[in-house]
Amino acid sequence: MESQPIHTVLSTENLSIGYSSKQGDTMIASNIDLAIPQGQLVGLVGINGAGKSTLIRTLAGLQSSLSGNISLNETLIPNIEPQALARQLSVVLTGQAISKNLSVLELVSLGRQPYTNWFGSLSESDLQSITSALKATDTETLKNKKCYELSDGQLQRVLIARALAQDTAMMILDEPMTHLDLHHKASVLKLLTNIAHEQQKLVLFSTHDIELAIAQCDQMIVLQNGKAIINTPKQLIQKGVFDALFPSENVRFDSKAGRFVIG
Amino acid sequence: MKKSYLYILLLLFLFTGIMSCKKDEKETILETPMEQEFTVDYATGFTIKEFPEYTLLEVSGAFPGTENVYRYALVKEGASLQKSSDSNPESLTSLLASNKIDAIIKVPLQSVVVTSTTHIPSLEMLGVDQTLTGFPNLDYISSEQTRKRIDAGQIKELGQNEAINTEVAIDLNPDAVIGFGVDGQNNSLNSLEKAGIPVLYNGDWVEKSPLGKAEWIKFFGALYGKSKEADSIFKSIETGYLTTKQLTQNVTKRPTVLSGAMYKDVWYLPHGESWPAQLIEDAGGDYLWKDTQGTGSIGLSIESVLDKGQNADFWIAPGQFGSYSRLAEANPVYAQFDAFKNKKTYTFTTKKGATGGMLYYELAPNRPDLVLKDLVYYLHPELLPDYQPYFYTPFED
Amino acid sequence: MKTNRSYTIPLIALAIGLVCCFFINISLGSVAIPLSDVFNSLVGGEVSKSSSEFIIHDYRLPKAIMAIMTGSGLAVTGLLMQTLFRNPLAGPFVLGISSGASLGVALFILGGTAFGITSTMAFGKWGLIIASATGSFLVFLIVLGVASRVRDTMALLIIGLMVGSLTSAVVSVLSYFSKAEELQQYIFWSFGSLGDVSWQSIRLLFYCFIAGLILAMTHLKELNALLLGDTYAKTLGVNYTRSRFVIIIATSLLAGSITAFAGPIAFIGLAVPHLIRQIIPTSNHRILFPAVILGGAILMLICDTIAQVPLSEYTLPINAVTALVGAPVVIWLLVRKKKLVF
Repeated sequence: MESQPIHTVLSTENLSIGYSSKQGDTMIASNIDLAIPQGQLVGLVGINGAGKSTLIRTLAGLQSSLSGNISLNETLIPNIEPQALARQLSVVLTGQAISKNLSVLELVSLGRQPYTNWFGSLSESDLQSITSALKATDTETLKNKKCYELSDGQLQRVLIARALAQDTAMMILDEPMTHLDLHHKASVLKLLTNIAHEQQKLVLFSTHDIELAIAQCDQMIVLQNGKAIINTPKQLIQKGVFDALFPSENVRFDSKAGRFVIG
Repeated sequence: MKKSYLYILLLLFLFTGIMSCKKDEKETILETPMEQEFTVDYATGFTIKEFPEYTLLEVSGAFPGTENVYRYALVKEGASLQKSSDSNPESLTSLLASNKIDAIIKVPLQSVVVTSTTHIPSLEMLGVDQTLTGFPNLDYISSEQTRKRIDAGQIKELGQNEAINTEVAIDLNPDAVIGFGVDGQNNSLNSLEKAGIPVLYNGDWVEKSPLGKAEWIKFFGALYGKSKEADSIFKSIETGYLTTKQLTQNVTKRPTVLSGAMYKDVWYLPHGESWPAQLIEDAGGDYLWKDTQGTGSIGLSIESVLDKGQNADFWIAPGQFGSYSRLAEANPVYAQFDAFKNKKTYTFTTKKGATGGMLYYELAPNRPDLVLKDLVYYLHPELLPDYQPYFYTPFED
Repeated sequence: MKTNRSYTIPLIALAIGLVCCFFINISLGSVAIPLSDVFNSLVGGEVSKSSSEFIIHDYRLPKAIMAIMTGSGLAVTGLLMQTLFRNPLAGPFVLGISSGASLGVALFILGGTAFGITSTMAFGKWGLIIASATGSFLVFLIVLGVASRVRDTMALLIIGLMVGSLTSAVVSVLSYFSKAEELQQYIFWSFGSLGDVSWQSIRLLFYCFIAGLILAMTHLKELNALLLGDTYAKTLGVNYTRSRFVIIIATSLLAGSITAFAGPIAFIGLAVPHLIRQIIPTSNHRILFPAVILGGAILMLICDTIAQVPLSEYTLPINAVTALVGAPVVIWLLVRKKKLVF
C-alpha cells in the first residue's frame, strides 16, 4: 500500500476556550491539543454545558479563543484573510434566521461567494461546484423549490450542500442531526461520511447522538471536565472514557455493545 | 479591483456636487438721486420714494425681526427699463439682475392676487377691487362687495397661503402677487417669481400701531398710481382716530380691561405693546397687562389671570366665545370674573361674512378709527351717545 | 447568487411602466393643458400659452424628476434596511433619520420663539434644507457611534426607535410654545412636498442620490450573503462590520438628502420592497435593486399624480397620499397571495 502523505488540516496547540467579559474570563475547557488530517469524519461529544458549541464556534472562527493557537492547513487562523479563510473552512449551524424565501438553488449558490468577484457573478466552474454539491446531497430535484417548502431533513441537506459548494478543506457542523427523525439522522450521517471519505474533507460535527457517532466516526473528541480527549471510538471505549461521561448512576456504558444502558 | 473604481467614481461625484454649490448674493446699496419721498408717518415697514423713471417701494418690515429690505421698482406704462442716463446710471433690468432690486412691476396693476383678507379693504377703498383675480382660501373673505365677485366666478380659488396652487396661479398670470409670510420661505411664491410674476411682500400684519397698520393703504396706492387718493383716505381715517382719541384724554376714570380666554389650560391674551392693547389704551381704558412685552400672544396660567383680572371692569374679546352660557359651559371659572357677572363682556365674533369669514380680521386693521369708536362707545358711553358699533357686540346670554 | 429563472421580462415591464407613469404625471395637473402642448414644451416646439410652457417645463418636469428620485431612493433604503435588520417592518427611517430631520426643521422654524431668535432669514432659502440635513446628520453620527460599540444589530433598531421618540418629544415641546403661523409652517413641511423645487436643488439631490445608489451597488453581493444572517455571512468571507457601516451610510445619505429636499415622505421605503417581492419573488438583490428603483419611482409618480387632484385647484399632501394609496395595495396583495414573501 502506498503511504499517502498525511496532511494535517486542523491543529490546535494548548487551546483554551471560553468567554471573556468585563468581570473576567470564564474558561470552559483548556489545554486542547488536536491534529486532525483530511478525509476524516470526527464527532464531538460531551454532556450539555461541556462546551461543544463553544469549541465549534471557536474552531470556526466565530468566537475568540482565550489562549492558544488554532491552525488551518498549517497557518495560524488569525493570519488568514477572511475571504481566504472562507475558501478553506465552511460551517453549517443551527438557529440562524435564514430567509426562507430563498430557493434551494439560490441558497446553495451563496456558498460560492468566497470565489466570485465584487458583484457576485458566477463563472462556469462556480456553476459546476453548485451542481455537484446538489448531486452529492441528493437535492438536485429540489433546486427550484423555495426553502419554506422543504422539510427539516431536506433543509438540513440543502444547508450542507451550500457548505459543500463552498469547496473547503474543512467543514464544521454544529449539531446537524438534532431535531431530525432517525431516518433523517441516518441519511445526514451517511452524507457526512461520504463527504469526508470520498471528497477527502475534514468533517467535524458536534452531536448528542453519541452512539451513532461511535458507530460511524473515524475519530471522536470527548469534552469532559474542561478537557478534550481525541481518539478513535474503539480506543476511547477501551480506555473507559465513556464510562464516566454521564454523572448519573442511572446510566452506564456497555463496552461490548458499544452503547449506553439504563439501570 | 472593479469595486475600487466605483468608490473613486463615488468620490468624484460627491466632489463635483459640492463644487457646484452656489451662494445667493444680495447687494444693498442703490445710488440714484431721489426726486421726492412720500410721507409715511406711522408705518415703519415701508417707504415710497420717487425717482426719475420709477417709484421705489421699499419694504423693510416684511416679517418680524427681519433685516432684509425688499425693493420694488414701480414703472409706469411706456417708461423705459433700459434707458441709462445721468440720473439713472444703471438700467432697471441690470439692477434686477444684480439683485439690487427685487422686482419690476408695471403700474397701475391690471390684475392682482392678494393673499390676506387685510389686503381686500385697501383695494375696495381705492376702488380697484375689480382687479383682484385670485385669492387663497376664498371662504375667509367677508366683504359683501368682493363676495359678489366671488359668486360671479371672477376670483379664482388658489388653495392655501402656505401652499398656493402654483399651476393655477401661473395660469392666472396676474400682474403682481401680494404675499405675506412668517419668513421668506414660501416655495410656491418662489416658483411664481421664477415664472416671471412679480411677488411683493406686504408687512401690514407686522406693524403694531393702529394707524401704522392702516397706513399700508398707501402701499396699494402706489401700485395703482393712486397715491393721492390713498393719502386722503388715510387722512380721514387718521383724523377720525385722533379726534376720538382726543375725547378720551381727559377722562377722570379709566376702566380696567381684561382680554382673551383659555385654550386647553393656558390663557392667551395680547401683550402690552400689541395692536389691541394700544387701542384699549387710546380708548381710555386701562389694560391690565399693558406693561407686558413680547410677540404674538402671551400664555398665562388661569391663576395669574384670575388674580389680576377678576375685578376688571370690562372684558374685551374673550377668544372665540360669544355668549355667557357657552362661556360658563366651557369652564366654570369664567363666571368668577366681575365682567362676566356684570355683563360687561364684548366680542367681535358675531360679525361674519356669508362664508364664515371674520369681518374683524379683514377690516379692523384698515379701520382703526371704527375699532376705536367701538371701544370708546362701550368703555365711555357718555362720549359717543349716537354711535352705532361696527365690530363689537355685547355677549348674548 | 444564481436565480432559478431570468427576471428580464418583469424588469422591462417595470421600465416601460415608469416611462408611461412619467408622461401621465407630467400631463395631468391642476390646470388642463392639451397633450400637444405638453409634448411641445418638452421638445421645444410651439406652445399655445406661454404660461403652459412654464408650467410643464419648470413646475411639472422638476416635480416628476423629484418624484422619481424620491421614490427610487426611499425604496432602495427600505430594501437595505429590511435585509440588514432581517425585519420586514424596517424602513428607511428606523435609524431615526427622519426624526433627526424633523428636529432640525423644528428648531429652525419653531425654535425662534422658544429661544428668542426671531429671524431665520439669515440663511435664505437654503436654511430649511440645511436644518433638515444637519438634523439627519447628527442622528446619523449618533447611530454610527452606537453601531461601532454595539455588536448586536437588533440593538441598533431599538436605538433608532428611541432616538425617534426623543426627537418627537422635543418637537412637541417646541410646538407647545410656538406661534400659530410657525406651527402651520412646520406642519406643512411635515406633509412633504415634491413641487416648487429649484433646478439647483434637484441637481444637488441628484448627486446625493447617485452617490447613495453607487454605495449600495458596491454591496449587493454582501446583501445577498446577509440573507443567511450575519453569522453565515461572516463564514462566507463578508466583512460584516464594514458592510454594516457602508449600508448605514448609503441609507443615511439617500434618506437624509431626500428628506432635506422633499420633507419626510412616509411609507414608500417600507412598502415598495414588499410590493416588488410579491411580483418578483426572488430575494436576489441583484434583481431586487433595479426592480425597487423602478417600482419606487412608479409608485411615487402615481401618488404625486393623485396628490395633484387633476383639474382641481386643491392639492393633497403627498405624505397622506402615499399611505392612502400604498397601504391598501399591500394589504390586497398579502390577502391574495396569503403569504408574506420575505
